[in-house]
Amino acid sequence: MNLSGKKTWLGLIAAVMLFVIACSEGDKTEAVPDNGFDKTAMLTNYADNLIIPAYAGMEQKLAALESAVNTFLATPTTETQQALKPIFKEAYLQFQRISVYQLGPAETLLLNNFLNTFPADAALIENNISNNTYNLEVNAATKQQGFPALDYLLFSDQALQKLDQPTGPNRKKYVQDILARMKALVNTVHANWNNTYRAQFIANTRADVGSPIGFLVNQFAYELDQLKGPRIGWPYGKQSGGTLFPEKSEAYYGGFSGSLAVENLTSLKKAYTGNESGKGISDYLIALKKEQLNTDVLRQFDLTIDKLKAIPDPLAASFTSHKDLVDAAYREVQNLLTLMKTDVASATGVRITYQDSDGD
Amino acid sequence: MMLGSLARFWHKGWITELYVKPSFYFTYQGFEWVRPLGYTGMHLLFAGMALAALLITLGLFYRLACVLFFLTFTYVELIDSTNYLNHYYFISLISFLLIWLPANHYFALDVTFKRQHPINSVPRWMVGTIRLQVGLVYFFAGIAKLNGDWLLRALPMKIWLPAKSHLLLVGPLMYETWVAYLFSWFGALYDLFIVFFLLHRKTRPAAYFLVLVFHLATALFFPSIGVFPYVMILSSLVFFSSAFHQRFLATIQRTGLFRIAKLNSPALPFKPRANQFLLTIIGIFFFLQVLIPFRFLLYPGSLFWHEEGFRFSWRVMLMEKSGNVFFYVKEPGTGKTYEVNNREYLSPLQEKMMSTQPDMILRFAHFLAETYQQEGIKEPAVYAECYVALNGRRSRLFIDPTVNLAQQSLSWRHYSWVLPYQKSE
Repeated sequence: MNLSGKKTWLGLIAAVMLFVIACSEGDKTEAVPDNGFDKTAMLTNYADNLIIPAYAGMEQKLAALESAVNTFLATPTTETQQALKPIFKEAYLQFQRISVYQLGPAETLLLNNFLNTFPADAALIENNISNNTYNLEVNAATKQQGFPALDYLLFSDQALQKLDQPTGPNRKKYVQDILARMKALVNTVHANWNNTYRAQFIANTRADVGSPIGFLVNQFAYELDQLKGPRIGWPYGKQSGGTLFPEKSEAYYGGFSGSLAVENLTSLKKAYTGNESGKGISDYLIALKKEQLNTDVLRQFDLTIDKLKAIPDPLAASFTSHKDLVDAAYREVQNLLTLMKTDVASATGVRITYQDSDGD
Repeated sequence: MMLGSLARFWHKGWITELYVKPSFYFTYQGFEWVRPLGYTGMHLLFAGMALAALLITLGLFYRLACVLFFLTFTYVELIDSTNYLNHYYFISLISFLLIWLPANHYFALDVTFKRQHPINSVPRWMVGTIRLQVGLVYFFAGIAKLNGDWLLRALPMKIWLPAKSHLLLVGPLMYETWVAYLFSWFGALYDLFIVFFLLHRKTRPAAYFLVLVFHLATALFFPSIGVFPYVMILSSLVFFSSAFHQRFLATIQRTGLFRIAKLNSPALPFKPRANQFLLTIIGIFFFLQVLIPFRFLLYPGSLFWHEEGFRFSWRVMLMEKSGNVFFYVKEPGTGKTYEVNNREYLSPLQEKMMSTQPDMILRFAHFLAETYQQEGIKEPAVYAECYVALNGRRSRLFIDPTVNLAQQSLSWRHYSWVLPYQKSE
């Protein structure tokens, strides 16, 4: 190649570059002017209006639950048990509102795993009570504590009867220990958010693995996976050729698994839209010119929530008596999951990398 | 006249490369004849690889070390196609080439210990092979970018860049359409033409400056591609003249460990016949190298969608593809359906990689059929419901959900059970 040939090449490349720039400038006039998107404002909205208040709410509900539980344990009767149930349900519903935010300190502490790995392992719990020795802080103990363990200890068929047995005092202490641990975990996460994590969270506007935006999109998909699997699909026998495992459903003894599922998905939609504040992941999608996708996701959320609401509570009974309704809801959860895991993840450039864990 | 020492310098890149490897240990999923060797076995394999790389760098027991490195590295690479990366393939190829080249005759312990005659010149084609290999990587990566999505729609850059708005100074620009076009076109032109500028003596320094800028930029913008930019930055040094490398080596020489061949050393003592044999091997090697990236032409349908003929073709950072796949195992006798929890068997990365690649989906389907049969399901039929979104377009059904994948065989032919690509939004 001689020198003049090289000049020609350079000239050609320069010309092509200019052409491209000209072309893309031309494109711009057609498109809506794009001034970017304020990711910091979005994250601030999540921290201040959604996540931190949800933890504050969880603390309040657990405090209320604790005093109600103590009242019940003082005089365990059918009446006090009935009075306790709505307060327990309230706290469990509040858990669904923090469930999607398992990131940062909650992720470090494995908050969801310790608060809500269901079904609880009744045999291990009984063992702990009769031995009166246990360590609830190890990861292997997730099935011996949290809401599912309370559900079993407070509302299973023989709950009252067992409190009357010689091991009754041990049992009461175990319930109180579980509650104390739940409170401590939530307090730690809440305090962490208030002290240091909030600043880290809103300052990190990346979208890579482990960043708040990456985490949020991952958690949306993860929660839907949990809804499809442990909350509905597994007890419904989806993995077992139709053999039902109703006792594996969430809050099986309390009998309000349906309400929990609806609350879970409603909270998820709230998280997706940033509580319709104009500062949510949904608005980020709009800024990325994915209006249609966002509209479809919102429509799918509403459709799925409606289908879930249509199933009479508890799910455990409907798995036999309302198969058509369960099937319909399951179908829509799956469609929503696909939208989230492929379309939304793809549009936001987020990689779905969540790790596996048992149950919730 | 070129020096055999050229290649060695650039082995330094492999040492850093080795530090990055440990992620390999955790991802075993061997359906191919190559199987992971268990915890201890894999550690020994990596130790062997590290030793081989060290020996190559020192130039001690060079040929044996090259063979060892090539075999161990390629073995590990073959264990799991989840981990397929273009630069791993690149390293495999280069180590194969090095087996045949006398890179232990100049600045090497093999010379110090009198195991080899010192040589200070090799036939030009020997360095040429390495240059050609590096050149092919760039050129094919460039050709791969010549497609409608990349050039005309700036996809997937338009998707990836807004995720980088946190970057200092350039952050706000990431939402601009023209920036996405600039990145796309610059990337394509760079890949296509950089080799020619590197080959030309006068443009070489400027071209190498571009190499640095380009690869450091990609490392900054797309940290997920790992060591690839650094591998290429070091590999490209092979284009520099012998004088440049001699200067570099002279500074290392002060350690006194190595001896640089004296200028009056004999030329390469190859017999003509051996030389011809070598040339034939390397000729066949490059013939295949040029053909393999074009094998996609033999398949009907969209390359990005079907990914038939996608790997081993230097298609780097070309598309944004995400998928979601559900498997259903049906027992024809009872009509029972078992939905599969993929993560019972797969790591998140494996599941992610599988969900967009037909051959991996089929492999997993076969594995499921086997597993469920062992659990007592008679004649299990495996169906997949899979949705894939390509380059930010809406997700589409990817696999024909009515096809029993347990009865489809793995092959090099076109898979008819992968649904055709629909481009419309």
